[in-house]
Formats: sequence, C-alpha cells, structure tokens
Amino acid sequence: MANQQTKTIVVTRFDPDVDEVPKTQEYEIPVEADWKVLDALNYIKDHVDPTLSHRWSCRMAVCGSCGMNVNGVPKLTCKQALSDYGDRVEVQPLANFPVVRDLVVEVDGFMEKFKKVKPWIIEAKEAAVTEGTNRQSHAELMDFKQFSMCINCMLCYSACPVVSNEPDFLGPAAIALGHRYNQDTRDHGSAERNEIFRDDGGVFSCSYANECAEVCPKSVDPSGGIQQAKLNNVLDWAQGFVVRRGEN
Amino acid sequence: MSELRPRLDAMRPSKPGSTRTADPRPPDQFPGKGNYFGYIAFGLGSSVMLLVSMNLLRSIWALMEGEAAFRALMDSFGHPLYVLFHTIAFAWLVWVALRFFSLFPKTQPFRMGPFQRPADGVLVGGLYAIFAGATVVVSAILAGAIF
Repeated sequence: MANQQTKTIVVTRFDPDVDEVPKTQEYEIPVEADWKVLDALNYIKDHVDPTLSHRWSCRMAVCGSCGMNVNGVPKLTCKQALSDYGDRVEVQPLANFPVVRDLVVEVDGFMEKFKKVKPWIIEAKEAAVTEGTNRQSHAELMDFKQFSMCINCMLCYSACPVVSNEPDFLGPAAIALGHRYNQDTRDHGSAERNEIFRDDGGVFSCSYANECAEVCPKSVDPSGGIQQAKLNNVLDWAQGFVVRRGEN
Repeated sequence: MSELRPRLDAMRPSKPGSTRTADPRPPDQFPGKGNYFGYIAFGLGSSVMLLVSMNLLRSIWALMEGEAAFRALMDSFGHPLYVLFHTIAFAWLVWVALRFFSLFPKTQPFRMGPFQRPADGVLVGGLYAIFAGATVVVSAILAGAIF
C-alpha cells in the first residue's frame, strides 16, 4: 500500500425523516492514488457509514447517474480523479435540484422537461417497407451527432444560472436534444418542437452563460445547440411571412 | 448581501414525490467565479449600450435645436466625469464585441447550404475584419476625411 494516503471527504447529508435542512459530515478515509471520487464515496458506504446514499451504476461515464458537485463544480464522480483535489474534498448533491436524500437529487422535474421537447423521431407518415431504408449521409449525421452523445447526467442543469431563476426553462440538455432531432434528416417534427422552443422557457430564455458546455463530461455543447436552435427559430419565424405553413 | 437562492420550484416535478425533499442550492460559483462573472459583465454591457444610446439621442436632439445647443452639449462632454464614462463605455463595448466574436462560431449551423461551416478562426477573423473596417470608416467620417 505504498500509494495509500488519507483524505477528508466532506459529504452533504440529508435525511428527510429527521433533518430540516442538509448538513455536512466529514469522513477521513484511506485512498488509493488511482481512485475516482466515486471510489471514495463507495469506500465510505462499504466500510465507514452504510447509511450514505448516492447514485451510481456503470463506473465508466456512460450512464450519467453519479453526477454531483465536487468542490463546487458539477462532475461525474466516476470520471473525476480524486488526485485532482487536495486533502479535503467536498461532495454535494447537484445544485438547482431538490435533494431526496444525501447526494441523491429529485430527477422527475428534469424528466418532465425532457419529454416536452419530444425527443424521438417524428415521421410525417409511416413509410412502407418497400420504400426502403432511411438513408443518411455522413455529413447529415455530423449535423447532430455531438448532441446525441448526451448521457442525461444533468450536470448542465446544475451549472446553469438560468435554471436557477426560471422554473419554466427547458434547460440545456433538453433543448440540445430537441435540436438534435430537428437536425436529423429522418425527422419531420421540427415545426412541433419549434413551437415549444419559442414558447416561454424555450430557447430564448437562454442568456448564453456557456456554463453547460464547460461542465459537460461528454464534450457535448448544449449552449451551441441552443444558439443554433435560436437561429433556426428566427429563420423559421421569418420564413412564415413569405411561405405559408405547410408549403415548405 | 442576502444569501443567493435559486427558485425553489426550478427543477421541482409538477407532482410532489413520495418523500420530502430539501430545497435546491444555487450553482456554487454563482455569481462571482468561472464564466458567470464574464456572463454577467456581458449582460451589463446592454446597460452601457442603453446609456450611450441615450447620449446619442440627446446629441441628435441638441442638433435639432440648433448649432449653439449642439456646441454646448459637445462642450459638456469635456467634463471629467463624461470623459471617464466614455472611456469606460468604449472599453466595455469593445470587450463585449470581442466576447461576442469568440462566442459567435458555435451559434452557426455545422453546414451552411452545401458548404461546411468555416473553421472557427475564419469566422472570428471575419468579424474582426468587419470590426476593424467599420472602425476605420467611422473614424474617417468623424475626422472629416470622407463625406
């Protein structure tokens, strides 16, 4: 155990049956040099305090379950090396979300916003099998590919100052995903989505703080997607003056 | 300054869950650190633009009232407070423009008609060129070199 040292992990605790407000608890634990932040939390759970609650699943930055604020910055704890921090590491639940217990946040509000943008392919009419497959070029794929890499970890919602202030705001991930489907050549639902995008809490609520792009662990650029969606909506709105709906 | 708090219903589901939840916290670094500071300063740029625009309207109004009124206004701009304001406004608006330039490329679609989006440097360079060109033209007009 030559690589072993100790760190103090300061964890937010909240038991809805007992606590009025969240509090912090410190754990001094031995850590390995190659540990991620999630390893430290799992060590605490397994060896020190089994009452600690936190979400995790895949441990390889794919499932998006283990997003938490580490020293104040939203991070995927399975991806974030513990060695990036000093001897004292503060782990909190994601900001902007109600806290269910300890580091577990309420995600139903996020899921409701997600569904609003209709994140699925909307076909104008079901094509017969004899019409063959939907063909898509590489260039067409690249129009939206980066937005399809989102793992719904909600770090962008935790970082966004607009989410803090506008309850109706759809938020970075949902808008980027809606934009992803609008850019997909197989989809014919952009008119429906743009109505939602132009509504209260849509794309024009974003004031481009760009924090969502900064914290995204998958290098998706939600703020870029939102700005592109704004441009598309302005063009779509302007086009309405010269082309009647349904004619284009 | 009172503690900054997010709207408590910001990410709350429409139907309450089965357990009581703790209120959300605001983003930890808001508003003083990270991109937030630049973002707020960028937003405040609109206030500076408003003040400059009001001054411009005032100048036009004075111009309509005659040469004497316009000259009196121009003389008032020599006051140290006005000089300070215009210096700050100039620096701020240049910074807002440059920040807008840096953010501009990713607002554009990946394809523009049949063409791929130009490299970010090309788009930013184009904006800088327009900015420099406009500055030269306006400076020439103000100096009386043209028109």
